[in-house]
Amino acid sequence: MKALVLAATSSETGQVQLTSQTRIVAAVLAVFFMLLILELIRRDRLQERYSVIWFVAGLGMLAGAAFPGLLEVVANLLGVRNTNVALFSIVLLLLLGLALNFSVIMSRQAAQITRLAQERAIEKAGQQAQGQNGNGSSGEQGLQAEEERLEG
Amino acid sequence: MRTLVFIPAWNEEASVTEVIADVRKVLPEADILVVDDGSTDATSERAREAGALVACLPFNQGLGAALQTGYLYALRNGYDACAHLDADGQHPAEEVARLLAEITADRADLVIGSRYHAGAVAGTGDYRPTFSRRIGTSVFRFFLTLATRQRFTDTTSGMRAANRRVMSLFSQHYSPDFAEIESLQLAVRQGLRVEEVPVRMLERAGGTSFLTPLRSAFFIFKGLVVLLVGQFRPRQAEVER
Repeated sequence: MKALVLAATSSETGQVQLTSQTRIVAAVLAVFFMLLILELIRRDRLQERYSVIWFVAGLGMLAGAAFPGLLEVVANLLGVRNTNVALFSIVLLLLLGLALNFSVIMSRQAAQITRLAQERAIEKAGQQAQGQNGNGSSGEQGLQAEEERLEG
Repeated sequence: MRTLVFIPAWNEEASVTEVIADVRKVLPEADILVVDDGSTDATSERAREAGALVACLPFNQGLGAALQTGYLYALRNGYDACAHLDADGQHPAEEVARLLAEITADRADLVIGSRYHAGAVAGTGDYRPTFSRRIGTSVFRFFLTLATRQRFTDTTSGMRAANRRVMSLFSQHYSPDFAEIESLQLAVRQGLRVEEVPVRMLERAGGTSFLTPLRSAFFIFKGLVVLLVGQFRPRQAEVER
C-alpha cells in the first residue's frame, strides 16, 4: 500500500502513472502482507474472525497493483478529479472504519469481562452464604476467607 | 419477604464496618452484601469480619458494574426486595428501611431516596451540597424531568430500593459509566413505577468525593449524552428469570 501511495504522489498531472516496477513492488508487498496474516493465524496470534478485514485490505492492494485503471474509475465515481486525493481519501476512510471496528470490539469485550467478573463475585458470595447457613459450619467459612486472602 | 441490602464499596475500610452495623441494627432480617469493587485496602476483610456477605470484583469496574452485581445477586438468589446505600456512611439505615417499606407495600417498583425533595428536613451534621454539586444536580434534574416527564429532585442518589421487576431489568441493562441517571430513565421508559421519598443524608464519614470541577464538567457532559441517546433506545420486552 505504501508503494502505491508513493507512486501516486510522484505524479504531477493529477493522474496516477504507475511504472511496471512500482506495480510489481506493490503486488509483492500485498502478497507478503496476506502471507503475514496467514502466518499470524497459524501461530494463533490472530483469530480468523478478525482476519477477514485485513484480507480484504490485502486484496485491495493487489487489485490496485494489477489494475491501475481501477483507481481512476473510483476517483471518477467519487467526482474527485485528482486521483491522488481519491487514493488518500479512500485509505483514510478505510483506516477510520477499521479503528471504529476495533472500538466496537473493545466495548463488547469490556462488557463481557465485566459480566465474567460479576458472575465470579456472585458465585463466591453465594458460597459464603451457604457456608453461613449450612449447619453453621464456621470451619468452611474460615476456609473460604483463607482462600479469598490467598487470591487477593 | 426476603430482603437484600447491598453496599457497593471501593476502598471504604474506614466506614464499611459502621455502615454494616447500622443496617443490621435497623434491618435485622435483611441479608447484607458488600460488593467490593476491586478495593486495594482491607474493605472486604472488614466487611467479612462484620458478618456481611462479600462479592469481590477482581478489579475496579466502576459504580455501575458494582451496583449491577448487587441486583444480579438479588435476582439469582430469589430475594423479593433489595436496597442499596453508599459505603461512606452518608446514608442512615433508618432511611433505607423507609424506602424498603414502599417496596414491601407495593406502592412502587423503584424507590429513590432524595436529599433535595421538599419533604426532606435538614438537621445538624446533615448533608450540605457544594456549589458545583448543586449546579450539576439542577442540570440533571432539568434534563431528566424533560426526558421522563416525571419530576425527579435527586437524580444521582445512591440510596435506592427495588423489587424483582427492577432487579431483572437492571441486572441486564445497567450502564457501567453512568449508572444513576440512565437507570432512572430506563426504568421510567419501561413503564415501571419510580418514586422519590425524601430522606436525610449525612456528611461523609470517611473517604473523599471523587468530584473536582473538571471532572464535574465532564460528568455533566457525559450525562447529557447518555440521556440523549437513552431517549432513542428501543424499549425492551420484560424478562423475568
